[in-house]
Amino acid sequence: MTAPSHSRARPAKGGPATLLKATGVEKTFGRTRALAGASFELREGEIHALLGANGAGKSTLSKVISGHVRADAGELLFKGRPLQLRSTRDALSAGIAIVMQETTLAADLSVLENVFLPELGTSGFLSRAKMRRRAAQILDDLGQAGALSLDTEVARLSAAQRQLVEIAKALALDAELIIFDEPTASLSAGEVERLFDVMARLKEGGRSLIFVSHRLEEVLAITDRVTVMREGATVAAGLETRSLTQGEIIRLMVGREIGAIYAERQAARDGAERPVVFEVKNLAAPPAVRDVSFAVRSGEILGLGGLVGAGRSETAEAIFGLRPRSGGEMWLDGRKVAFRRPAQAVRAGLGFVPEDRRVQNIVPDLSVKENLLLAHLGAHRGFGLGYAARQAKIDELLQLLNLPGHRLLDASMLNFSGGMQQKIIIARWLLLEPKVLILDEPTKGVDIGTRQAIYELLQRIAGEGTAVVVISSDFEELLGLSARIVVISDGRSIADLPSSALDEEKLTLHAAPRTSMRRNTELLGALASDCGGAGFWALIDEDRLICLNSVVAAPDASPGFAAGDAVRIEESAIPAGLAARGQGFVTETDGSRSTLVVPIRSHRGHDLGWVGLTVPGRAEGRSAEEIRQRIEGLNA
Amino acid sequence: MLERAKPATMAEQSPSRAAPNGAASIATRIFTRLEFRMLGLALLIAVALSLASPYFLTKTNVFNILDQSVVIGLVAIGMTFVILTGGIDLSVGSVAGLTGIVLGLTLKDYPIPVAILTAVLAGAGIGLISGILVAYFGLAAFVVTLGVMAIGRSLAYILSGQTAISGIPSNLSDIVYASILGIPSNVFFLGVMYLLAWLYLTYTKGGRTIYAIGSNKEAARAAGLNVLFYSILPYVVSGAFSAVAITFSIAQILSADPLAGNLMELDAIAAVVIGGASLYGGRGSIIGTLIGVLIMVMIRNGLNLMGVSPFWQGSAIGSIIILALLVERLVSSRTDR
Repeated sequence: MTAPSHSRARPAKGGPATLLKATGVEKTFGRTRALAGASFELREGEIHALLGANGAGKSTLSKVISGHVRADAGELLFKGRPLQLRSTRDALSAGIAIVMQETTLAADLSVLENVFLPELGTSGFLSRAKMRRRAAQILDDLGQAGALSLDTEVARLSAAQRQLVEIAKALALDAELIIFDEPTASLSAGEVERLFDVMARLKEGGRSLIFVSHRLEEVLAITDRVTVMREGATVAAGLETRSLTQGEIIRLMVGREIGAIYAERQAARDGAERPVVFEVKNLAAPPAVRDVSFAVRSGEILGLGGLVGAGRSETAEAIFGLRPRSGGEMWLDGRKVAFRRPAQAVRAGLGFVPEDRRVQNIVPDLSVKENLLLAHLGAHRGFGLGYAARQAKIDELLQLLNLPGHRLLDASMLNFSGGMQQKIIIARWLLLEPKVLILDEPTKGVDIGTRQAIYELLQRIAGEGTAVVVISSDFEELLGLSARIVVISDGRSIADLPSSALDEEKLTLHAAPRTSMRRNTELLGALASDCGGAGFWALIDEDRLICLNSVVAAPDASPGFAAGDAVRIEESAIPAGLAARGQGFVTETDGSRSTLVVPIRSHRGHDLGWVGLTVPGRAEGRSAEEIRQRIEGLNA
Repeated sequence: MLERAKPATMAEQSPSRAAPNGAASIATRIFTRLEFRMLGLALLIAVALSLASPYFLTKTNVFNILDQSVVIGLVAIGMTFVILTGGIDLSVGSVAGLTGIVLGLTLKDYPIPVAILTAVLAGAGIGLISGILVAYFGLAAFVVTLGVMAIGRSLAYILSGQTAISGIPSNLSDIVYASILGIPSNVFFLGVMYLLAWLYLTYTKGGRTIYAIGSNKEAARAAGLNVLFYSILPYVVSGAFSAVAITFSIAQILSADPLAGNLMELDAIAAVVIGGASLYGGRGSIIGTLIGVLIMVMIRNGLNLMGVSPFWQGSAIGSIIILALLVERLVSSRTDR
């Protein structure tokens, strides 16, 4: 069972064998019908996407298949034989494992012990040496031999490493079918790529994978076939991924056409005339936040971009008084502010939706109404509740959120879908009509229909004059929503660029951790000082340039832009050099500078932009070829 | 681990498709309320005891039960505040003992109102210290109040000279035996305190903040609620109510004993928990606590009436508490599903 499995999937009849077939699966929780006759068919050796909006039943179906949940009705056929699962143990012994978002590892045990945890429950002796050899073999098969030490405590691992342990655990049991439930939700871009490598190897090894995800780009990138669910039923079964576009999948998921998910992005021009409402200068809250500056105008949606762990959430928390600051200034409406407690920030007119809904936002024992009014309570100065004074605004918001009034009386928000929870939490702040609203990953785990509603909501309040700051790891969302993006990397704001100058790739390059740029910076520094000039790394479009990194050794060789700048080529100090990129040294018409610009690629062949060297005057006696080789040697 | 994963998945599985049947859901909401189930239990116990002893339901005995509920009932109010924030106050018994001695000593030189005020302030002050240690310094409530419990009892012995203080002015007993609207004043006072506590916890910013802190402290802080202040306040309330409770006790026996209030914390915690509060905080109600207090006192009273040996009473009460919680857990896990 090797690579050709994909091509074998094409002939419809007599093709690869069916591994699992589920038909007519039903499941009701209380009054909620989670599955209403769902069906699913998985072939051997394929990666099959299970898609659907939140609440569509995809997680429930995967839990039925993995034995976590018992179906009320329906039939499971595994390798042609009926499958009766009473527990996860039954599923595991049949060869079905699930890798969930929240891992089920024992945090205090080592990697090795966790990998063989299910076997500890069986009788018989286990040889530690044998276990060790087998675990090493499994990691090696996954191409991750160096990624994990078998003796590390699981508590000390990153989210991505824990996932790897879960996968190894499934392989230790010889699982033939592995379900990945939203595996990429908390991974950085690099980690996602590594996971996909692992998944591809699993598939090559003949295993079948079910991939449950919200992220359509990932589905298109990794899966062979797609099954879409809606409201507990299967609406499209086993479609070839290659035959689908993102738009078609979305249409199947929501059952209607979503025109532009992102309404017209604001024009950056008219924003420039509005007053700056909130400004942060050199904010520091070590260790996560080192030096962050940005300003946001009234009516503007500003994006804070960067990778997971870059310090964006911590920046927001430091602003809001949830995290001690060690330096920096904040200005609100021209007045200097320094919030020590969130209450001060709330009363001054700031709102903040933290990232983790369950941990940082929802108060489960208070009713939905009280959850909606929680920030009001924080801002309220009286002894009583003051709920009545907000009633008119509440009614208005309910209409905006499309929520029937009686649902407010529900005892707990936990019965709501993720999207509805998020809307209520955002509304919690809208109730106060804040001057500045900061949202951390506002659409995380939210279905695509609600996503659009949230975008509209944010655009609407921006239109009413609120300054909105959105933190998101979804670069597509960030680019679609905000007019301007401040990139944060390793706790520093390193670029402030109009969205129109960016696309996802450029943003990804900007957001790369600075540590990975060390070699690049060293090279630029060495080139600049050896040649007495300036080195830079930039992305160049037809007539625009975004500078990712620059080192200037001789001021008279400055190219006219610095790291984080986006400029038009003709506005730089070296228009001729940039226009003639990819050739030898080119001297500017005024003879002040000469520039050599060399394209660079990653070892995987990705375009990484251009590295340039500018020297003062004419570049006589310099070997362009030697420098070119030094630059190209960077990623060899 | 699976437990932790549950809320997220539940949220996903139950979108707004659930039947939005207004009237029916209000009715279910009422009957699934824990306090109502506990009220049912209280009535059941009352019926059982009145069958077991014809004296149980007489007017005299009902007033006896109410009278016996005053001291424990007052302490349980403070305990409810603390437990709602997810804390615990083990020091209530010894704070009662200590503030009782303070009351006794102050009464020797000062008029009654001044002495009561001093004792209550002393109780509140001790609560303030516990509260600051727990909420500001982040020490475990269990350990802090365990320490305060030991210190309080020790100070009570030292201040009293190891003997009960007698010679309490007899007009202190007016706060117990005076009658207001035909109700003994101590019972009336208990009722007023429960009403005020209920109003505070239900209809004020502070009350709702206390619930929010116990339910999700991080979310409460992020929403701008004053988490520090309202985490300390319950301990102050608890200390103050311990002092008030012992004042009513001393008013009845006209003697302040350094040993008074011994093991009172256990009765108070039991009453609060029987009343449906979660020891993790965020869940519970003052009405539930009142029912819990009545259940505790009724059982003890009934066992006395039936002539059960005091040595067996502990076993009986302990079993009933555990049984009540067990039944409650089984019932609630079925209706929550």
